[in-house]
Amino acid sequence: MVRRLLLDARAAMASPNRNARSAVVLGRLLGLAFVICFGTGLYSHFLQDPLPGMRFPTRPTQLYQFTQGLHITAGIAIIPLLVAKLNTVMPALAQVPPVRGVLHLLERVSIAVFVSAALVQVATGLVNTYQWYPWPFPFRQVHYALAYVLIGSLVLHIATKLPIITRYWRKRDSYDEHGRFVADPSVGSELLPPGLEERTAPAPPAAAGPVVASYPRGITGRVLRWVDGAPAAATDPLPETRHERPIAASEPREPSPDASLGGAEATRGRRERVARRGFFAGVAAATVGVVVLTAGQSNRLAEPFNVFGARQRHRGPNDLPVNRTARAAGVLATATAADWTLTVVGHDVSRTFARAELVALGTTEVDLPISCVEGWSQMASWRGVRMRDLLAAVQAPPGSHVRVTSLERHGGYRIMDMGPEYAEDPTTLVALELNGEKLDLDHGFPARIIAPGRPGVLQTKWIEKIEVIR
Amino acid sequence: MRATRIVLAVLGVLVIAFGAYVMVTTVRPNRIWGLATWLVGAVILHDAILSPFVVAVGLLLRRTGRALRAWALVVVQAVVVLGTVLALVVLPEIAAKAHGQKNPTVLPFDYGVRLLVVEGVLVLVAIVVLLLGARRFGARRRRAPYTTG
Repeated sequence: MVRRLLLDARAAMASPNRNARSAVVLGRLLGLAFVICFGTGLYSHFLQDPLPGMRFPTRPTQLYQFTQGLHITAGIAIIPLLVAKLNTVMPALAQVPPVRGVLHLLERVSIAVFVSAALVQVATGLVNTYQWYPWPFPFRQVHYALAYVLIGSLVLHIATKLPIITRYWRKRDSYDEHGRFVADPSVGSELLPPGLEERTAPAPPAAAGPVVASYPRGITGRVLRWVDGAPAAATDPLPETRHERPIAASEPREPSPDASLGGAEATRGRRERVARRGFFAGVAAATVGVVVLTAGQSNRLAEPFNVFGARQRHRGPNDLPVNRTARAAGVLATATAADWTLTVVGHDVSRTFARAELVALGTTEVDLPISCVEGWSQMASWRGVRMRDLLAAVQAPPGSHVRVTSLERHGGYRIMDMGPEYAEDPTTLVALELNGEKLDLDHGFPARIIAPGRPGVLQTKWIEKIEVIR
Repeated sequence: MRATRIVLAVLGVLVIAFGAYVMVTTVRPNRIWGLATWLVGAVILHDAILSPFVVAVGLLLRRTGRALRAWALVVVQAVVVLGTVLALVVLPEIAAKAHGQKNPTVLPFDYGVRLLVVEGVLVLVAIVVLLLGARRFGARRRRAPYTTG
């Protein structure tokens, strides 16, 4: 009963796109995208949670803008690729028998883990860029832990499928001279179309005709016959594959004696090829489409096509989008207080500066991007006091680590630590102006941090204290 | 090959185990249950709902495709795939905006209208392609029924 159901399902899923070669092609792209996301994600993670002794590059100053933009863009490109890959390997869902042994069971469990981790990771990652968290678990910790599960599953998946991957790595090994998929039962692919298991290249002459099994009996068979417009003869094995269309006008006429045989092969091959190319054209269109229509939130070139991006560059106070407003941070009163001062604490010396006193120290102008972990980014022009000048004012020794505290009452980024590579960088500022205007309250008035190559959450706003911690 | 596979498999299992370790040490147990429901839900959604749906749509497309030129079918298929993927990305965005913006610079656009416009353009493209395809196919068949296409 179950077996019958699975066989019917396999028959309904049979398609020229659902073969091992398509799975390898999509798997390569998807694997590459996963690795890109994993690498850029780890970089972003360690920027925010460094292991002891970690140092990071401050040049190019747009490095994080690039890596995180790539993280989000590759993550969005994963959506169509993942859907396509799952669609391609769908017949493996209906394997007969469902479990062949302990190892096979473990493999299927590992694929279930892989698929579910990938779906949850990509879906929650996408919705996170919309700043919406409709799930019962913390996003950041789960996204980080699932990344390891996902990439480990990818490695394990490559291990289990390695014979199939190498067998179908190259196109010329995957299709015969007519463009038909060469089903090789020896490598253990679960994507061999029903009835095609014995087919090898070149096509054996005797069996060249009826290479596809007859339609299954019962309702499935009737549905499939209706789909293909095939005659209702119950026992007749059909000589043609599915995706059949009466296109007599386009069939080549060959004069050779076995014209019907070779011609049928060539026609079938051409149709399979068209179906496959159509499938990949659709996947390519979808991938390019979602990327181009969203990448404008982080990429200047794609800005005119920013139809669905979660942000629009240059929209916001000071010509720049805002992530956390002063109201949300609870600093409306403290940040606008007339007696605001910035306290700078060295090992032996402590000083406090009013805003006018900071200006009097001498200001510098730098161009640095704001690059959010959620993917949007924008270059901006900042004017403020160099961090290293402030540190010199309290006689901080070279190589000092710094801790910056914000006026925010709560939130995970109220306190921010900064290694010496940033603290001593000439472009790291306590910024007072943004894009030629006084810093907007939502951008961190009266003063905020801006440093090269760091995520936006570490560009602390509404600062009140800078301490030399070691 | 065998050695490579064993090394990869062991490495993969170790990395998965590390992920599980990070999970249980950084996420509270009751939250892990929440995550577990989502992980199981994702498999059920894919295996029991999305896959049968895709099979049904594929069969319908196959049935419809019999009356079409191959390239017209390809265009229609590309439009269906692109339209579906865009909806997958933008529908949650619409829901997120309906749920409330944190500030006016987050989700600044009217995504519902934009999705409708883009999907409308896609449908229009598909219709034009189908009409052109049907006309040229018909003309060619009348003119020269036995030449190669």
